[in-house]
Amino acid sequence: MHSSQRAGLGLRLAAIAGLLFLHLPILLIFLYAFTTEDRSYQFPPPGLTLKWFGVTWGRADVWEALALSIKVASVSTLIAMVLGTLCAAAVSRARFFGREAISLLVILPIALPGIVTGISLRSAFNLADIPYSTLTIILGHATFCVVVVYNNAVARFRRLSGSMVEASMDLGANSFQTFRYIILPNIGTALMAGGMLAFALSFDEVIVTTFTAGQQATLPIWMLEELVRPRQRPVTNVVAMVVVLATFLPILGAYYLTRSGSDTAGSGK
Amino acid sequence: MTFAVDFENVSRHFDAVKAVDNVSLQIEEGEFFAMLGPSGSGKTTCLRLISGFDRPTSGHIKIFGETSDDLPPNRRAVNTVFQDYALFPHMNVRDNVAYGLMVKGEDKSTRLSKADEMLALVKLDAFGDRKPGQLSGGQRQRVALARALVNQPRVLLLDEPLGALDLKLREQMQEELKSLQKTLGITFVFVTHDQGEALSMADRVAVFNEGRIVQIGTPHEIYEAPRTRFVADFVGSSNVLPPELSARLGGSAKWSSLRPEAISITAPEHAKASGTVKSVRYLGSVNQITLQLDEHEISVSSPVGVALPVIGQTAGLVWKDAALHAMDDA
Repeated sequence: MHSSQRAGLGLRLAAIAGLLFLHLPILLIFLYAFTTEDRSYQFPPPGLTLKWFGVTWGRADVWEALALSIKVASVSTLIAMVLGTLCAAAVSRARFFGREAISLLVILPIALPGIVTGISLRSAFNLADIPYSTLTIILGHATFCVVVVYNNAVARFRRLSGSMVEASMDLGANSFQTFRYIILPNIGTALMAGGMLAFALSFDEVIVTTFTAGQQATLPIWMLEELVRPRQRPVTNVVAMVVVLATFLPILGAYYLTRSGSDTAGSGK
Repeated sequence: MTFAVDFENVSRHFDAVKAVDNVSLQIEEGEFFAMLGPSGSGKTTCLRLISGFDRPTSGHIKIFGETSDDLPPNRRAVNTVFQDYALFPHMNVRDNVAYGLMVKGEDKSTRLSKADEMLALVKLDAFGDRKPGQLSGGQRQRVALARALVNQPRVLLLDEPLGALDLKLREQMQEELKSLQKTLGITFVFVTHDQGEALSMADRVAVFNEGRIVQIGTPHEIYEAPRTRFVADFVGSSNVLPPELSARLGGSAKWSSLRPEAISITAPEHAKASGTVKSVRYLGSVNQITLQLDEHEISVSSPVGVALPVIGQTAGLVWKDAALHAMDDA
């Protein structure tokens, strides 16, 4: 009887090994943020220090990269939330020719390898004579951010009982009021979750950024450049820690927001 | 005279499907009107045409004399009680009821007190702070009713309002709806596939089949004098007799309807007709007896307590002459 309650020893060992394999490298990165040695990553670290946090704090290039990353992630998330919601509303509410095709086309950017997206965007920008800038990075990121928001929103829209929107209209509300008072409160958490995931995706994106950036460096690009230089290496580790935390928290938030989502909408029957 | 709702040759076609086919219909002010029919007969589409969620392919609908063709749902003097109630799950019951007043810009204290009044009318005064998810099916139905009525509609539309309730609750709500309609004096239009519901509540009934109205009349007329074979069979499952049998049994040579409860079992020698007893089913309040008359089956509802015939033997049937009703329909 016990075997159905508890996993066997072998299975438990395998699970532990799997988890270690996934997470030990991340812990190592955290560890080297405290090392006293700054040219090569020798193991074990010769000593531990907090001085790299101070050094990182004082480096203007880190702040620049961080500011750019936050700006790019925020704006592309914002674009994605507007476009993704509208698209999800259209696909789940209306029936029109090519609906399934549009649904597939919206999801495609996340299925495509980033390098394909990157190259195609780069040639598109070239053709249109758009100079590489913050704007082009934002546009590049928005392509996959839209997908994340769309996916979250479309699932919630499907659960939203169609007659609720009709009931709102029937009671005298116009389209804007219906959106504001009925649709938004019911899809709000899904939108937040989608937005957070989009932000996290954009914040650590490298490939598309490489193709669409000009001279600017987002945080991940800055880290890539920094690794090549054997000077003040632990600064990279400190920044990596920040990136891990900055992307982990929104993802955790998104998880909690959508977890209880099943009883927020469409269960009024 | 202006009618509350006036259909002038209204059709609604979905590609090749004629959901509503050339329907003309006048509903008077203050009437409790039922649209009765099997699923797919066009009754719900008619309701959606009145509420404005659907537009006629051809024809016009007037609401209190005003052509409604271009009016969106939010600008019509009608409100709907939806089949699934469509309550807003994120609002409490009071806010649900006050919603219509809120979007019209009534101030908060007025709309909440009106909502409470309406909740008292449907006997839910104590439930204003609950969420719809915490209510039973019958309570949700009352909230949906209050939410529609608070807007003082001139016509209230009800889409299968009692479909989701259990039998006991349904009977109770039938009476309440009826008395509510009397108190408020407004026009109720309700859609149902349940003939018992339509007969017991409505002032007039329109029987729908395949997108057309087959008969309009009082419940009494519909039941006693069905115009077609479809009506006779759908409303109260009558014995539908072909012309030659009707003529042989003393009626006219037309398709005729003979209600099972209008027939009594008697000894064959006094009877208008006799047949072989095929089956006897006990249904609680009545026994349903099926007899074979030549190639025809006749069913008889016999009150419990009356002596039952024996299966396989011959039994006689009697009825009043007026009970054998000839229909127009070929």
